[in-house]
Amino acid sequence: MFAAAAIALGFLLLPIVAIFARVSPGKLVAQLSQPVVTDALVLSLKTSAIAQALVVLVGTPAAYVLATRRFPGRSLAVVLVELPLVLPPAVAGIGLIAAFGRLGLLGGTLDALGVQVGLTQAAVVIAVAYVSSPFYVRQAVAAFEAVDPNLVAASRTLGAGRARTFFRVVLPLARRGLAAGEALSFARGLGEFGATIMFASSLQGVTQTLPLAIYHEFALDFTTALAMSALLVVVSGALLVALRITLQWQPSKPTSRFLFAPSR
Amino acid sequence: MKLRVLAAAGAVGLAAVSVALAGTSQARKAPHLTVFAAASLTNVLPQIDPHGRYSFGGSNMLAAQIEQGLPADVFASANTSLPWQLHRKGLVTRPVVFTSNRLVAVIAHGDPKHIGSVQGLEKPGLRIVMAAAGVPVGDYTRKVLARLGMSDLVGKAVSQETDVREVLAKVTLGEADAGFVYATDAKPVAGKVSLLGIQKSAQPQVLYAAAAVKASTHLQAAKAWVNKLLSKPAQTKLRAAGFLRIPH
Repeated sequence: MFAAAAIALGFLLLPIVAIFARVSPGKLVAQLSQPVVTDALVLSLKTSAIAQALVVLVGTPAAYVLATRRFPGRSLAVVLVELPLVLPPAVAGIGLIAAFGRLGLLGGTLDALGVQVGLTQAAVVIAVAYVSSPFYVRQAVAAFEAVDPNLVAASRTLGAGRARTFFRVVLPLARRGLAAGEALSFARGLGEFGATIMFASSLQGVTQTLPLAIYHEFALDFTTALAMSALLVVVSGALLVALRITLQWQPSKPTSRFLFAPSR
Repeated sequence: MKLRVLAAAGAVGLAAVSVALAGTSQARKAPHLTVFAAASLTNVLPQIDPHGRYSFGGSNMLAAQIEQGLPADVFASANTSLPWQLHRKGLVTRPVVFTSNRLVAVIAHGDPKHIGSVQGLEKPGLRIVMAAAGVPVGDYTRKVLARLGMSDLVGKAVSQETDVREVLAKVTLGEADAGFVYATDAKPVAGKVSLLGIQKSAQPQVLYAAAAVKASTHLQAAKAWVNKLLSKPAQTKLRAAGFLRIPH
């Protein structure tokens, strides 16, 4: 039994260890000052920040409605929101081109407005938001569902309005679930590759995010590709630790013990 | 918890078994060679050898994969420099030049943006794509533009693609207004794109070279495969696809 656990763990960790074992840490760090790396890092952070802001701003009220209102087709809506979660990124890329591309469903409308999204930074943001938002929304739905409706009712009876109840009662109770969902969403968005390379393509400083730069550098300079991979391992690891801390903080009222709590 | 560990171990075990099975079945039968080939050869190579297993992509990406030890038997590159680099590192046999190509600019069918000629690509507001430097077609594109005195277009490109097929796709999808590809890539999509010819004096020498990968377990078969590219039937198929005779 322990042997199996050791094999599984070794299998999962070996590629990550290999990234750091191949080249000395000093050399890896030295690679990080290259323009191709700094450009990609800045672009990744910028597009992620915009995408995640959109995800939280739109996703939070959407998740609240899905969690608290009963309307026909609600379960279907919850399933549909999660669909991009299981969609292969290449399919997302094709879908985004078919929808927002110049010859796509909305292409004519966007063209008339003088907007073209394909091959631009906006395309990166759309791709990242598309693949990462379900991670936030499904977790947010679960977090809102776990809020005791009696507390909400009490707040309303005591005279607090809907908005005040939401911001002072519901949000604080759901915040750890929301934070966990956002951490997952951010991690998934930061790693986004397939949909981005198809829909936004790869231009240094404009659309070339870290994963795309890793792919690009693989053909040119393996050491630089390793260095960027190491950087993303560190960032992802930090996110994971932050996530665990968020979830275990204040053990009095866990909103969602597991990352993938079923959203009923 | 125990169940999860079991499941993980099971998955690992299954993967190991399937890898082992794949290994044995491969060793017994006549070799189906794994060919790493330039993206521009996507249509023609399976016509020459339908039994090959192909991985098409930017030649520089494929060369990097061979350097990292991916199990290719043959490398067919859209330039001569990459196979020669690998040859000097002792990774592949002496490269054999087997065909040639030329560059064209592709634009939307019927030229809705009234570009007219390659020089018309200087028009402001056009969205031009090309392959990245290091990708053979990207290097050729830079050479052509330098000879035409239009190197400023390189900085204006809205995308630097990883292989020639990606460049073509951006134009056929309408995402870009123009892109630089090989004449053979444009041929099968003649109904979707229009061509802007590039004058002979500006054309780079586009030579394709192939070599057998020395680490191949089927080295003899791989060498024979490379030589077969020079045979009459193979050359006829290359010519039919629009590839050019090797210049002397």
